[in-house]
Amino acid sequence: MAKILRVNMKNRTTKYQDVPEKYKLRGGRWLTSSIVCDEVDPLCHPLGPNNKVVFAPGIVTGTAAPTSSRISVGAKSPLTGGGKETNAGSAWPVDMARLGLKAIVVEDQPKEKDKFWLLHVTKDGAKLLPADEYVGKGLYEAYPKLFERFGKKVNIMGIGTAGERKMAMAGICFNDLSDRPSRYAGRGGVGAVLGSKGLKFIVIDSGGGTDVPIANKELFDRGCKKLEEALNTADITKPKGSLNTYGTAVVINIMNEAGGLPTRNFSSGVFEGAAKVSGETLFEENKKRLGKELYNHACSPGCIIKCSNTWYNPDGTEQVSCQEYESIWAFGPNCSIDNLDVIGKLIWMCNDYGLDTIEAGGTVAVAMEAGLAKFGDGKKAIELMQEIGKGTPLGHVLGNGAAVTGKVLGVVRVPQIKGQNMPAYDPRAVKGIGVTYATSPMGADHTAGYTIAPEVVGVGGKVDQFSVDKGKLSRDFQSTTAFTFDSTGHCLFIAFAILDIASGFEGVVEECNGVLGTNWTGDDVTKIGLDILRMERKFNEAAGFTSAHDRVPEFMKREPLPPHNTVFDVPDKILDSVHKF
Amino acid sequence: MLEIHLYGKLRRFAANRDPARDSVVCVPVKEGDTIQDVLVQLGIPLYEVGSNIFLNWQYSALNRRVRDGDRLAVFPDDMQLLYRWYFNKVGAGEDDRG
Repeated sequence: MAKILRVNMKNRTTKYQDVPEKYKLRGGRWLTSSIVCDEVDPLCHPLGPNNKVVFAPGIVTGTAAPTSSRISVGAKSPLTGGGKETNAGSAWPVDMARLGLKAIVVEDQPKEKDKFWLLHVTKDGAKLLPADEYVGKGLYEAYPKLFERFGKKVNIMGIGTAGERKMAMAGICFNDLSDRPSRYAGRGGVGAVLGSKGLKFIVIDSGGGTDVPIANKELFDRGCKKLEEALNTADITKPKGSLNTYGTAVVINIMNEAGGLPTRNFSSGVFEGAAKVSGETLFEENKKRLGKELYNHACSPGCIIKCSNTWYNPDGTEQVSCQEYESIWAFGPNCSIDNLDVIGKLIWMCNDYGLDTIEAGGTVAVAMEAGLAKFGDGKKAIELMQEIGKGTPLGHVLGNGAAVTGKVLGVVRVPQIKGQNMPAYDPRAVKGIGVTYATSPMGADHTAGYTIAPEVVGVGGKVDQFSVDKGKLSRDFQSTTAFTFDSTGHCLFIAFAILDIASGFEGVVEECNGVLGTNWTGDDVTKIGLDILRMERKFNEAAGFTSAHDRVPEFMKREPLPPHNTVFDVPDKILDSVHKF
Repeated sequence: MLEIHLYGKLRRFAANRDPARDSVVCVPVKEGDTIQDVLVQLGIPLYEVGSNIFLNWQYSALNRRVRDGDRLAVFPDDMQLLYRWYFNKVGAGEDDRG
């Protein structure tokens, strides 16, 4: 019988609760957003006692469904002030599912200041233990100690020093399959919310756990097989396909050629040093340094795509995992740094301090714009990051993200929406993604609208990438994402396979029906996606958001972006149409 | 001249194959040449060409015309993964350049 584990940080008590009827079919983002919307006062202070942090594995997480080990984290965000869902791939949610945990809800906060605890969850129950000995230490130091203490088979969620200090760019870290602290539910400052509750780690041990119950095994197996075939067939997702070879960083060159790779704090869409920090270069350089080809690894159990890379030093020792597209971009093109060793060091620092790489790189770029360092100065970028690590007053300013940093330093050009820095696609060059940035309940978020959709590639017509008629498209993307990826537990990169291969999408729906015993159709899950968006929007409205918050920053409407020299000119009425359904 | 930037496995058609630098081929263009025409002239098999083709940074179809001084970027079929559903191609007869 599945349970919800509630952890009260004021009384330091834990209790298991039966899953209420209305939540029984929900998982992932559907469940985390439901609990946040049902239980958190939209007007509460994100770092106060009335906020909650909710963890939920996806609907099919923990089963044999391929590429489905994602954990959703929900809370009211200290970065945006709205509701937040952020997710990561790890073995951690598989353990949750195998212990029959539908959700973990962390509530209230301790009276003591600067005290931290860890939660140890096993089949026999959940216990809060003091975690003071890990406070102030980097995660690269803390994780091995925790594995030594609790055993190699556990999986660990944790916050770094940034979360302890309640910085709004603090993410939540999960270990990868080699026990590195490297998989992040990064966005929106959820790490700071856990910090405000004094919860430093959740160590899960699923020893003695049971398989996830499956209502209709035959249907489930059929669904898995369809998705597996699609993933193994598509050029992008198959073994030794482009994601497995080059990692997500393969997109650097492509976005650069599309003229939309944000460079020097969103001043240009083309970076002259792009080739040096591309996925292809990463692969070739690793080959030189290691003397052999290195293909990427899975971030979580059961993944077919395996897109996570490891970057090696010139002497063949490991520097960091993982150099993702967004992370490379944030510290590379966006800060005009064209050296993968420097970028790798900056990503390592994010992993160690517990930071969202997108927000951190975006903030360093804003600091560069303010003159704290010159664009391209990797040494100074590292020093700025060290300020965050030390928790100096400047570090606290930077640690609260690009919008706060811009305000403190008098920078007008801050590429943020709802307080969250934009990721690696300039909305002046790719207007559809701009609509999603502007209107997502999450703030500027590329993953919010990354989904299967009507195939537009081969279509002629008069519109091109600068077309502004993207309202419905963005809505379809956002609603499909909300369910098909974020609630099932599947990685959004399955989109590359199920976009091309229709049976792949059928497979995802059949997997869910197989696990839950439902009879959902493709239309049903689209409706669920819309329900999720509606619910999240309602929370944001009650938190004080209006259509004025669904806008891109002013400078993008008046400052043309080279090389296309276009501004963001999507009319407000199209932005406002996205959530009218 | 048309400047063609090649990526991934298509780099083999350029002199430089080191991905840390650009793999560029420059070819003269004739009036009326399309992207497909120049790729075929270079001996690039069309089945290896993906949908991520950019003419002057604009997402383009194979039947789009090229001109002297243009910059073309071509990614192979196994690298066509950029948010392509946000883009519609500019093809023949839809060129905003007249």
